[in-house]
Amino acid sequence: MASGGAEPAARAGFAFRVEAFGDRGVLISISDHADVRSAARAHALAAAIERESGGRPGWRTPVSTATSVLLPVDPVEPGVDVALEDVQGWLARLPTPEIDERWSTEPAPLEIPVRYGGSDGPDLATVAELTGLTAAQVIELHAATPLRVLFLGFAPGFGYLGPLPPALLVPRRAAPRTRVPAGSVAIAGPHTAVYPVDSPGGWHLLGRTSMTLWDPLRTPPATLRPGDRVRFIPERPA
Amino acid sequence: MSRPVDDGATAVLEVISPGLLSTIQDLGRPGLENVGVPIGGAADPVGLAVANLVLGNAPDMAAIECTLLGPELRVLRDVTVGIGGADLGGQVLRGGRRLPPGASHRLRAGEVLAFAAVEPDLGCRAYLAVPGGIDVPEVLGSKSTSLVGAFGGLQGRALRAGDRLQAHIGNAASAEVPWPADLGLPAQDAVVRVLSGPQATDADTAGIPETLAHLLGATWEVSHDSDRRGLRLDGPSLASLTLLADDPSQGVLPGAIQLTPSGQPIVLMPDGGTTGGYPVIAVVCAADLWLLGQLRPGSTVAFERIDAATARRAAEDLRQLVATAAERLSARLS
Repeated sequence: MASGGAEPAARAGFAFRVEAFGDRGVLISISDHADVRSAARAHALAAAIERESGGRPGWRTPVSTATSVLLPVDPVEPGVDVALEDVQGWLARLPTPEIDERWSTEPAPLEIPVRYGGSDGPDLATVAELTGLTAAQVIELHAATPLRVLFLGFAPGFGYLGPLPPALLVPRRAAPRTRVPAGSVAIAGPHTAVYPVDSPGGWHLLGRTSMTLWDPLRTPPATLRPGDRVRFIPERPA
Repeated sequence: MSRPVDDGATAVLEVISPGLLSTIQDLGRPGLENVGVPIGGAADPVGLAVANLVLGNAPDMAAIECTLLGPELRVLRDVTVGIGGADLGGQVLRGGRRLPPGASHRLRAGEVLAFAAVEPDLGCRAYLAVPGGIDVPEVLGSKSTSLVGAFGGLQGRALRAGDRLQAHIGNAASAEVPWPADLGLPAQDAVVRVLSGPQATDADTAGIPETLAHLLGATWEVSHDSDRRGLRLDGPSLASLTLLADDPSQGVLPGAIQLTPSGQPIVLMPDGGTTGGYPVIAVVCAADLWLLGQLRPGSTVAFERIDAATARRAAEDLRQLVATAAERLSARLS
């Protein structure tokens, strides 16, 4: 893939900006637009870089999002200046990373059962109001949307799932809740997620699942993996 | 009182009252941010190292992190403890013996160890170590309490009255030794060194260069909303600022200074989220991360910008200081 004369960004597997994250990291930006394609590229680039950095002292596991890869490094060995040079070198030399086929294949999605509305989804009415839909339409749309795990972040096992259709786009709540119960299914911006553990949260709560998405004693502890397909299934009250 | 001797762990301390927030911490779980697990660990890793090293422990063994109002603990059997970090008024109740940080102290079964400072003069967190470290199961590579994930430490939660803490105290050094270096705890007006953040000069985001200048030009008060996730800073408002609240998320690290849509800066702490959507205008240098763990709500802090070379030297110097002190201690303890 690496052909002479291409921009470093093009050659180096999608990166278009490389900069220091203080004295402890290198941040590679892939895109300004968080979608499945850029998320797949970020994870592919992270894996390719980990093949270079893995085993070197002071390089930790990359942290990928839908638009970027953060490479945490030890501030002394290698130190951020050396790390920046190394990364620039790898980006110039590496072929375009291959995207894991998990991102392009269409296996049966992980089905997450959800009890929508009521005390399980206290923001369902608000979301209906904000989107101009009925509560039933919000549920139908949320459950009908094929989703992928774009990346994990924020809290243990918390997967950013997307993309949501434009009709379901709502901003975060003005005032975050101090405690969102584990299993809550929520939306904000182009993303939806399940809160794996009790935590504070600013997303709108549509419902709740009893599926366990995080168990630190299990291997692996997180149920969701980047690239996995997910679908929410409305559960009738018993 | 004693546990079976099969693994050699013995209950050494019982919690009478837990204090404001007392948790088990080592150096946390770096490397799991890609599944959303914050690094966690001691908010002041230097304080943790001091508490351990004065005992002859490795610097990263699990200890009790005490916050402002420390716990009251019954000593279940004769034991030497190490104290590091801030002076939260450690003492033996009724005997009145003071237990300052930067030293190890011999305690006798039946004594009550308390942290009785109403308002510490300096700092925010103290570390209490026992020989061999607090014995709790390792979860995902660390004994640290993850309050965020409710795992690790003692059942993933802060200490409670009635909890018993175990240790392998067999080979413990019993000498009382002082910490042989300046503790350098922050006074009221701390200065924390930062590097410019990845979004500090982002031409795409209106107002960012000015906000870095604003951060550096003002004195900030640590808000009472601060915790192990983040320090919220109160200061002059940034009314002219217009930021997008839903920028794409990026990976972040403890010490990142994010700017929220209201203009309030938040300094990420060890339990902070692993990814975030707010612009990172500055990042605290590695050598000053421990200082963040000692900033108490209500105290003030200013930020000074340094370059990468200076930051690297500072990180090396701090490691050297701890290593040198550890060598001197080990010579005295052996």
